[in-house]
Amino acid sequence: MMWQRLRELETIIAMAELELRRISHDPIELITRAVQPIFWIAIFGSVMARVRAFPSTGDYITFISPGVILQSSTFIALSYGIMLVFERESGVLKRLLSSPMPRSFIVIGRSLAGGLRASTQYIIVLIAAVAVGARITYDPLNLILGFLILIVASMGFTAMSILIASSLKTRERFMGIIGAITMPLFFASNALYPISVMPEAIQLVAYVNPLTYTVNALRALLVENSYAIGYDVAAIVLFDVISMLAALKLLHRIIE
Amino acid sequence: MEAFFTKAIEVRDLVKIYGGGVKALRGLSLSVEEGSIHAILGPNGAGKTTLIRILTTQLVPTSGSASIFGLDVVKRASEVRKLIGYVPQEVSLWTDLTGYENLLIYAKIYGIPPERRKDIVEEVLSMMELKEASNRLVKTYSGGMFRRLEIACALMAKPRLMILDEPTIGLDPSARKTVWEKILEYKKEYKTTVFFATHYMDEAEKYAGEVSLIVSGNVIETAPPDELRKKAGGDRVYLKLDKSIDGARDLLMKVEGLKIVRESGEEIEMIVNGALTVLPTIILALQSNGLQIKEIRIREATLDDAFIALTGKRIAEEEGNIRELISERKMIRRGA
Ligand SMILES: Nc1ncnc2c1ncn2[C@@H]1O[C@H](COP(=O)(O)OP(=O)(O)OP(=O)(O)O)[C@@H](O)[C@H]1O
Ligand SMILES: [Mg+2]
Repeated sequence: MMWQRLRELETIIAMAELELRRISHDPIELITRAVQPIFWIAIFGSVMARVRAFPSTGDYITFISPGVILQSSTFIALSYGIMLVFERESGVLKRLLSSPMPRSFIVIGRSLAGGLRASTQYIIVLIAAVAVGARITYDPLNLILGFLILIVASMGFTAMSILIASSLKTRERFMGIIGAITMPLFFASNALYPISVMPEAIQLVAYVNPLTYTVNALRALLVENSYAIGYDVAAIVLFDVISMLAALKLLHRIIE
Repeated sequence: MEAFFTKAIEVRDLVKIYGGGVKALRGLSLSVEEGSIHAILGPNGAGKTTLIRILTTQLVPTSGSASIFGLDVVKRASEVRKLIGYVPQEVSLWTDLTGYENLLIYAKIYGIPPERRKDIVEEVLSMMELKEASNRLVKTYSGGMFRRLEIACALMAKPRLMILDEPTIGLDPSARKTVWEKILEYKKEYKTTVFFATHYMDEAEKYAGEVSLIVSGNVIETAPPDELRKKAGGDRVYLKLDKSIDGARDLLMKVEGLKIVRESGEEIEMIVNGALTVLPTIILALQSNGLQIKEIRIREATLDDAFIALTGKRIAEEEGNIRELISERKMIRRGA
């Protein structure tokens, strides 16, 4: 029985493998996705650093690097649901739903897949940031921890995306909503400036925004060389659990 | 012993009303014997796919029941999923992976143990004659190769029941033939039950042991193709005489099992029961009344004729083509 259960877990890994194989056939897509964030750091970052808009942040390019990684990875994770819209129109989802794999594994597996795809940005954007002068830690433990945290956080955003795809069903509506939520998600977080500079109402949004906690954790690990990330990780895990449960609950909608 | 009594598929009074209020199934019943090949044949929108999606546990019926080898598809869905191999009407492959990778991922999803995976993937690849293409991205495949790979996928878990939703849709005749050869080859080896939906008459006629005609969410007739053909009333006979058929009409009316469908001038079309045995009598009678036959054509009744006789409608091919076009377009958009 136990063994059987473990065997089933392998299907989650299979979903991740699917994604990695996909990426290996078309790595260019992910590289092109990293171009915009690199410009953010290089142009926006250096202009803002010059005007010293946010003096409390220290070196500004260093400050925004974790935020810009998140901007890029979150957008990829949030867009992942379009894959399910495609698979709904094709027969893939029909086949998956009639396979012995439990439905919860579809949600967990695809979230992991989306999380992996999104986290590729970590590597590309970090290298670019260092190249334009960001002072990022070289401690491998911190770097690896940061990567893992980004994967976990991106899983939550992917689950959110699956949830949106299940409810909206068409690619036009889906892309519309994703476009509409990425902007506030990004600007109502501590990705580009500290929370203290925001008006109070937006501060509230920032505190329930899972991006804030992910940026916090990455900034602690990569910039401040600190391991004070317990609360942030807890918040991220909570976000994952909630978004996956919600996605699982609504998955049946995508079928009908 | 259980398998002796239970049907491969048993459907009773199945009703499905979709969210938008569309009544796709209206109390449909049918049963399929283990080991048989059973076709459901019907025009677009008849409810074939809806039935199949309920049988494969994707959709829950509004009312009525369905079971696979005695297992209820709603209450025991997870057990049912282990018994079936399914090919959806639409493309169900990841087109940005190779054929081999698709099978490998699906082998894991179907829970095939790691030590047997490689062998099984190799086995189905060579069975479907896809070995050479297996390392190419699926988006470079032809329609027939797509379908064969999807069937290969469904075969990996060695299912007791294969459920195929229009397995040859959009393929040219020779690709259709190959696909069917492969299905039959597999069936012979593993004694699988095959249940398939189609709107190609000839396919149902050629490959199915039993055919259920489905119209507007109901089965109107289930029988072996030969018997269904008989429902058409007999074979189609066309005669062209050397003069007006007026003189022949009374004579023909006397022949038992003959029905005149159309007449004009020297031409006459009729339905004749057992045409090949009755025809000599007809010819003799006409000749002895001084009527010469200039042309004669006999066409055996098809399932299409039976369908028309039973429903007054035909299984429109034009619509089929439009639909194929749509699904092809979808495919292209996805592949791009
Ligand atoms: N997801 C859905 N939501 C609402 N209505 C649907 C849905 N799927 C099918 N229908 C409707 O249900 C009816 C039966 O459709 P179904 O796809 O089962 O027919 P079919 O016999 O498979 O047709 P085809 O030969 O075109 O594949 C049609 O009127 C169709 O428009
Ligand atoms: Mg259909």
